[in-house]
Amino acid sequence: MPRLNRRRFLQLAGAGAGLAVLAACAEAAPDAPAVVDEPTPVPMSEADVAASADDPGLMRPPGTPKRGGHLKTAFGVTMASFDAHQGGGTHVLSHMYNNLVRNNLVDGLRTVAPDLARSVDVSDDGKTYTFNLRSVVKYHNGADFTSTDVLATFNRIMDPPQGMISPLKAEFSFVEDLTAPDAGTAVFHLSAPRSYFLNVLTATNAYIYSEASLQENDFDLRDTIAPGTGAFKFVEHQPAERWLLERNPDYWDAELPYIDQLELLHVPAWSDRGTAVLTGQADMSWNVAFETWQEGSNRDDIDNKLLPNFGAYWLFMNNASGPLADARVRKAIHLGVSKQNLKAAFGTQEVINITRWVPQGDPYATSPADLASMPGYREDIAEAKRLLAEAGYGDGVPELEILAASGPQAELLAPAVQDMLNRDLGIPTKIRIIERASLGTEQQQGTYQLMVHTRGHGVSDISPRGNLWWRTGGSQNFGGYSEPRFDALLDQIDDETDVPTRQGQINEAQDVLDDNPPEYLIGYTYHLPMWNSKVKGIELHDRIFAEWGRMETVWIDS
Amino acid sequence: MHQYILQRLLIAIPTVFGVTVLIFLAMRVIPGDPLQTIYTESTGAYILSEEELAEVRASLGLDKPLWQQYLSWMGQVFRGEMGYSFWTKDPISQMILRRGPISAQIAFFAVVLSWLFGVPIGLLSAWFRNSWADQVSRAGITLFLAVPSFWLGLLIILFTVLVLTWRPPLTIIQFWEDPGGNFAIVALPSITLGLGLGAATARMARSAALEALFDDYVRTARAKGLGNSLIIWRHVFKNAMLPVITSTGLALGGLLGGTVSVEKAFPVPGLGSLMVQGMQERDWMMIQNLVLVYGLIYVFVNLLVDLSYGMLDPRIRYS
Repeated sequence: MPRLNRRRFLQLAGAGAGLAVLAACAEAAPDAPAVVDEPTPVPMSEADVAASADDPGLMRPPGTPKRGGHLKTAFGVTMASFDAHQGGGTHVLSHMYNNLVRNNLVDGLRTVAPDLARSVDVSDDGKTYTFNLRSVVKYHNGADFTSTDVLATFNRIMDPPQGMISPLKAEFSFVEDLTAPDAGTAVFHLSAPRSYFLNVLTATNAYIYSEASLQENDFDLRDTIAPGTGAFKFVEHQPAERWLLERNPDYWDAELPYIDQLELLHVPAWSDRGTAVLTGQADMSWNVAFETWQEGSNRDDIDNKLLPNFGAYWLFMNNASGPLADARVRKAIHLGVSKQNLKAAFGTQEVINITRWVPQGDPYATSPADLASMPGYREDIAEAKRLLAEAGYGDGVPELEILAASGPQAELLAPAVQDMLNRDLGIPTKIRIIERASLGTEQQQGTYQLMVHTRGHGVSDISPRGNLWWRTGGSQNFGGYSEPRFDALLDQIDDETDVPTRQGQINEAQDVLDDNPPEYLIGYTYHLPMWNSKVKGIELHDRIFAEWGRMETVWIDS
Repeated sequence: MHQYILQRLLIAIPTVFGVTVLIFLAMRVIPGDPLQTIYTESTGAYILSEEELAEVRASLGLDKPLWQQYLSWMGQVFRGEMGYSFWTKDPISQMILRRGPISAQIAFFAVVLSWLFGVPIGLLSAWFRNSWADQVSRAGITLFLAVPSFWLGLLIILFTVLVLTWRPPLTIIQFWEDPGGNFAIVALPSITLGLGLGAATARMARSAALEALFDDYVRTARAKGLGNSLIIWRHVFKNAMLPVITSTGLALGGLLGGTVSVEKAFPVPGLGSLMVQGMQERDWMMIQNLVLVYGLIYVFVNLLVDLSYGMLDPRIRYS
């Protein structure tokens, strides 16, 4: 088993995450994939240097970071659970915890960086990941971090106790066993190689809880803010109002964090988040309303960015019965409904990012330039009509129902789809509007024909998504889609570790999805972060996709 | 008087009971399942199995029969607890106590403003009826009656953000913590609500004053040679105030509703914002308790209005 040093580890990890740059979204994509090298020296006290010399951190922002200050963010910070593994709001909680590995804040999330794992050894067959853990990490209550915490955390995720809902469980279905040979080592044994394994571990909700916290709370942390190892410590929480966190002076990376306090203000409305940043009530927001984002573009003291996001708007199709059971009808809709028109129709609400099945920001995404010439990403009404005729619907399709949630989806997207279906393809539809919260029920029960709805996944890789959504019998394949060609390709994609080979397989799988679409992808969305120019260190302007939460490298240039 | 108050309080019991039953049932009849709002695609857990759904329902007490759920809620209310938010698990009584003062301040200042503007304008408009000043004030009254408070709020916030580069603080600052910061939170919503309510008050004051101006006692006062200011203050004002007080009391109920939209527009971390959030999150327990609080306030304010008649008009006696 070849041992990897930190640099080599990053290079390998970056092969997965870092390839993102090659295919990153057009305007977001900067140059080549960057692999973080040695930390950039920044002013540190002698004590800090001494403390960190044994086990230095990695993420060092460019420039000359200044210490101190109080940073305010404006975002929605309510949550139904404090347990990240049970749906807790990690955009808040993750500041207080660490993963084994994480996306690198200082290179625009292009590489995977060590976090609580100092390094990782990967076996030759790609099935054993040995994580060498940091030795200087303490929880906020003073307890030591050890490999038993890793075991307790992931065993709970993969084998949740009675009563726990573990959304991450499916992501680790290929982990056969997890062992801890000693206090500083955790070993994951996979049933088959998974090239995206480290990416799954970077998810902001895949952070580590202490075994003691889990045991003390009967393995249920929904009502408990358990002590973490993170750069910030909990100070105060006013429900639906704000969170106040403070610098962890004993953070394992003695250089970080730079700021003294982090205040997370609850601002649910996107426009209010934008005005909060514009008026200095907040220093930054992860996602603001488009009009306030545009206003920020006119200001010298405000910066902003469009960031690809891994959540999308879909027109779900029930493949089980009726005209939509015919792949030719679904493909006709894929070819005949203009994504560009839908993007324009929804422009006042959210900025749609027209992509293929794999979202921008993922290393294997199709570039916008290639996408522009592909059928289905520019409407082809003649071919769509030919397919309908071939399917026996040349004289018209029986009326279909479009289910949509009240609000902008029903007011803008559904009518735009309805208009194009009727005008261009002769498919009459009626729109039924229901509460957003009821869409999931209809989806699970299969009581829909067409449904405008959202769906996303924390990991951009097609493997976990494809297995959930499009594989025959997938646990979230509610439309009943079944395509043996896709299933076979997914088997190969799951196991493949060679990047160029995998790229080819994924392209082929996307061709299959274009040819026999399970549903209509309206488009992934952009997130619209906006921040005061004095906010430095988390390189938001350089990110290749949106990630909310951890920001221990942030500093204020005041 | 005491007997009257007791009678009114007794009458209020079925009213409040009716409110609790209606809102309790309404929450369970209207579409939208709190579980599907709590477990969404953003949490990665929006697809729950039947067993998982049953477990979560049980943890929220939603697996019990409706009558048990209702009695359980009422028990919590009588103990002063009001239960816990479905969404955040926080004690609802504490959230109401923390946010209530902000909403109460807004309502109070809005009423004060409405009287400061509305009563003088109404009286002067009646005194100088059909003059250009009367025409202008009536046009202004119509304008502010027609403009929805949330829209006015949006205009004001747009002006302060784009022109003044300022907006009210986003977190709760209580008056006793920082009066200046507190005022910054409640000032604009109070003005927004106060303008609309002031227009209604002015219209009511004008019509009541017009009626009083032609009454015999005013004619008698003029015949006695009293000055205009004394006639207005002693005779017209006092008599015109009864309908104004009535309309203000009734408007307070509407003001509570108005607070929701204005708090949302600015946004103010008050009870109105909490209500909107509760609706978005299908937090039945939160909505039930807020409606109950609004109902209790409405009943109480109406009682106060009725009692104030006796103090303002010596002809009215409660016995």
